[in-house]
Amino acid sequence: MPKIEVNEKLFFELAGRRMEAAELEEALTAAKAELDGYGQDGEGRGAERTIKIELNDTNRPDLWSTAGVARQLRVYAGGPIPEYPFFSSEGDAKPSRYRVAVDASVKEVRPYLAAFVISGKPISDAMLKDAIQTQEKLCANFGRKRKSVSMGLYRIELIKWPVSYKAADPDAVAFTPLGLDAKLSLRAILEEHPKGKEYGHIIAGHPKYPLLQGADGGILSMAPVINSADIGAVQVGDRDLLVEFTGTDMPSVALSASIVACDFADAGYEIAPVAVDYPYDTPLGRSVTFPYYFQAPASVDSGRVSKLLGDSIGPEAVVAALGRMAVRAEAHGQHVRAFPPEYRNDFLHAADLVEDVMIGRGMASFKPERPKDFTIGRLHPIERYSREAKNLLVGMGYQEMIYNYLGSKRDYIDRMNISGDDALFISNPMTENFAVVRPSILPSLLASESVSSKAAYPHRIFESGKVAFKDPAENYGSRTRQRVGMLSCHAAADYNEMAGAVAAFLFYLGFDYAVEDAEDPRFMAGRQARVMVRGEEVGVFGEINPFVLENWGITMPCAACELDLESLMG
Amino acid sequence: MEPRSLLKGLHPLEIKVVLHYAPGDSLDAARLVRDLGYVEGQANQAQAWLSAKGLAAETGRVGRTVYELTPLGRDWLEKGSPEERIVEFLRRGGPAAMGDICKSLGLEQKDAGSVFGRLSKEGILSMTPEKLVAAAVEGESARQATLRALLKKAQAAGGALEDKDLSEAERSLMAEVAKKRGASDAPFKAADRETVSWSLTDAAAGVAALLREEGVSGDEVGALTQEMLESGAWKSLSFRAYNIQSRPARLIAGRHNPYVRFLESVKDKLVSLGFEEFDGGLVETEFWNGDALFMPQFHSARDIHDVYYLADPVKAKSIEEPYQSRVAAAHENGGATGSRGWGYAFDREFTKRLVLRSQGTVLSARQLHTAKVPGKYFGVARCFRYDKVDATHLSDFYQTEGIVLGEDVNLRTLLGFLEMFAVEVAGAKEVKYVPGYFPFTEPSVEVHIKHPVLGWFELGGAGIFRPEVTEPMGVSVPVLAWGLGIDRMALMALGLNDLRELFSYDIESVRLRRASAY
Repeated sequence: MPKIEVNEKLFFELAGRRMEAAELEEALTAAKAELDGYGQDGEGRGAERTIKIELNDTNRPDLWSTAGVARQLRVYAGGPIPEYPFFSSEGDAKPSRYRVAVDASVKEVRPYLAAFVISGKPISDAMLKDAIQTQEKLCANFGRKRKSVSMGLYRIELIKWPVSYKAADPDAVAFTPLGLDAKLSLRAILEEHPKGKEYGHIIAGHPKYPLLQGADGGILSMAPVINSADIGAVQVGDRDLLVEFTGTDMPSVALSASIVACDFADAGYEIAPVAVDYPYDTPLGRSVTFPYYFQAPASVDSGRVSKLLGDSIGPEAVVAALGRMAVRAEAHGQHVRAFPPEYRNDFLHAADLVEDVMIGRGMASFKPERPKDFTIGRLHPIERYSREAKNLLVGMGYQEMIYNYLGSKRDYIDRMNISGDDALFISNPMTENFAVVRPSILPSLLASESVSSKAAYPHRIFESGKVAFKDPAENYGSRTRQRVGMLSCHAAADYNEMAGAVAAFLFYLGFDYAVEDAEDPRFMAGRQARVMVRGEEVGVFGEINPFVLENWGITMPCAACELDLESLMG
Repeated sequence: MEPRSLLKGLHPLEIKVVLHYAPGDSLDAARLVRDLGYVEGQANQAQAWLSAKGLAAETGRVGRTVYELTPLGRDWLEKGSPEERIVEFLRRGGPAAMGDICKSLGLEQKDAGSVFGRLSKEGILSMTPEKLVAAAVEGESARQATLRALLKKAQAAGGALEDKDLSEAERSLMAEVAKKRGASDAPFKAADRETVSWSLTDAAAGVAALLREEGVSGDEVGALTQEMLESGAWKSLSFRAYNIQSRPARLIAGRHNPYVRFLESVKDKLVSLGFEEFDGGLVETEFWNGDALFMPQFHSARDIHDVYYLADPVKAKSIEEPYQSRVAAAHENGGATGSRGWGYAFDREFTKRLVLRSQGTVLSARQLHTAKVPGKYFGVARCFRYDKVDATHLSDFYQTEGIVLGEDVNLRTLLGFLEMFAVEVAGAKEVKYVPGYFPFTEPSVEVHIKHPVLGWFELGGAGIFRPEVTEPMGVSVPVLAWGLGIDRMALMALGLNDLRELFSYDIESVRLRRASAY
């Protein structure tokens, strides 16, 4: 979930009012956001206070900026729904002084581009920082680490129009990337520049790399990796900036451009459209002027709203609630037609409008209601059986334990003297300490013993829990089972003690059983038995092999047992 | 202390001493052994206990050396010393090479060598021209005779000799064969001991008078035995009063684990509210772990750094139909769910990838197509997360989740359930709700509660399942979905502040853990 840090002064200016922490915290709930604390922009005197905000909704990238959160709060508090007249839409392309020509060569590597120009006043420190933060959050989360969307800012005064967007030979073209002072070939940038190393993999598999270039050959950037050190080096005080987005998914690219354009418009900048010409079809056509309003209207029946929210909410009330969320809507009978704001594209289903109605009306307006449907509660059969089994073991003097299910190969396999062929390994473990799902409860019990030699003896412990292991016959190639494992450890712990415990346990669970010779390497030869119920093996018990004890550093005799509760349940 | 209040706490071992001796009598352990038939340990206990009560005082101590038979010494007594064995061996079998002697008798070369050195001086052993060791036909080493006498004397004296018990010859031999440290290769261990002398204090006289007055002799019976009850002997016996202030022996009890009991109490609460429990496997597919919950396959929470993948097997053989096709359609274009979908090509191979269940909601999704309407279900599911393990993160942990299906359930019913959970499960006094975000519910809310101890915190998240989640499972009624974060309450109930402690391996800390309330 994105966390942002906003300049307090700019934020309150855009929100239309100052708020203290408690009020702000309350107001932020309308943006599904949380106040994460306060910080400082810069050092020493004159440093401005910042507000840290955590945004919970991963489908609302428009909220990941100062202007975005401020807008939500401003309109929610009664402010007007902002107008963005610079948007083009189907059949209504706004006139544009700037053109970008897309070349067919980018179609396979990174086919879509959207752009606009901000002008009217020099860019402030707070807005530049915010734009850079937006670039990070938008491209990291919504743009999937720049894979589907990346963003660049450029100084217009250095650009010769029209700009071209094409794929270039990585060895034949060179420029000075931001952060360095020497020219490098495109390929060398991928190999040597920090951003190249971080994002280069997105384009490295292609024969040619995407490049933005002015009419005079001046290079703007290699998308989505790095800007040039001249045209692409934006500083506080610059006027007239080109903002550009490239990516692999047109709705995401277009929406990102819309979000940033609306943010700058809210902050008092003018937005000038950029026309982009494609030599191939895109979801928005071959010639698109950005920012472009592409979202389709969404609709919801007020009856559905009432049914899901539990209050009778008429169509006019639905329209009013959506208005507080900055969503323009109109009622047609019981039906409400909603026009997503320019910067939002998250109405996938009528249910999404229902939620906006809920927030628009405020949570306090919904009174909790006691459920009316009668249903019978019951525990899962495995849980009931497990409790029965556990009560017996407690009565037999055993202490119940509970363990983690993820552990190391060393503990679950090597120390247990088994091959581990049926154990489930994780392909992407974070550390080798948590790399295997336990195939048995016994290593967990022995791990306990290995750290408990100072605890007063005798030790009698057990766990009823899950294990998992390979089973090629299953659809998932594996099975999870509920088992009970017992361990008795003291100077006189032996086979006979455990045999007596197993006999008592199975007697009270109502089973006749037989024992058969077993050859489990975890136990001592000749001092272990397979437990057979209804002719089926349900577990094993015996004296733990001293070889295993030594592996665990245990110097006290141990007798143990593991039984499969699900097999016993039948 | 008052003499009378001392009476009850007196052990028979003390009583007999107090009654038998007068203050000022010079006492030591040996005297008690002699006069009262105590063993030395009992005599020492009596002194220590009486001293602690102020009834006895030390008057002096004298050091002395004690020579104790070692296991080797006992071995020599039984099998003979190396000297004896070598001489015996040679007299029986004739001259032999040194190597053969060692081999036959299991002796070290150096030990046999030093025996030869000593005995050849005394003319008992000699070396033949053929370099064989030969023994004289008769005669015994004087040293050897003394040693044997010492060993026997020590054995007869109960395994130890004191300096004063030794003759001049014995004393000089003892100095040679006894060791203070590393005595395992010597027949005697020399140990310094102290004889403590003590006497009863004047207070003991008052106690003795009271004992006589009460008719207490120290011969009162301790245990009431089965024989006494069978024979009726108990009728003519008097029984010693016990010191009830002494520390009881520790009982190691069989016991339920307090964290498990906490989880069970939550389950019981939910059952009492009409919920039926569901369960499932630890291994899941991407399909149920994410796709069925309408989380797009490119969602950041489905990243390699958030979910654990199985190394082998890598994929499920198949995904249940018609659910796979319906879910794929919901993702791609909404299918029949009324949604426009995420608008990407659903990957039917990715969906088969096997993962360790990363969220409890998986069980809710799996339950949908068999759930009854109306129906209420819950699960306490072990989930796995790609997190660095610390006080607030675990590699695997429990999530408590559930669903409610009903023709007429809605947001207000959901708030009603959350209020019930807040009050019944968490004991909350105040509850508030704020809008929330979960990929699979719309609308979504968070419930915050004011806990009597913990103060305000987020108890859980909830919402109404998106139609993209329910419709592919054949469910067309609204489904309320909720999850509760109960770990903080568990830590509080158990008096802990580190999540790792919930799954502690330490037997003693689990044994001693007490829960305040569930």
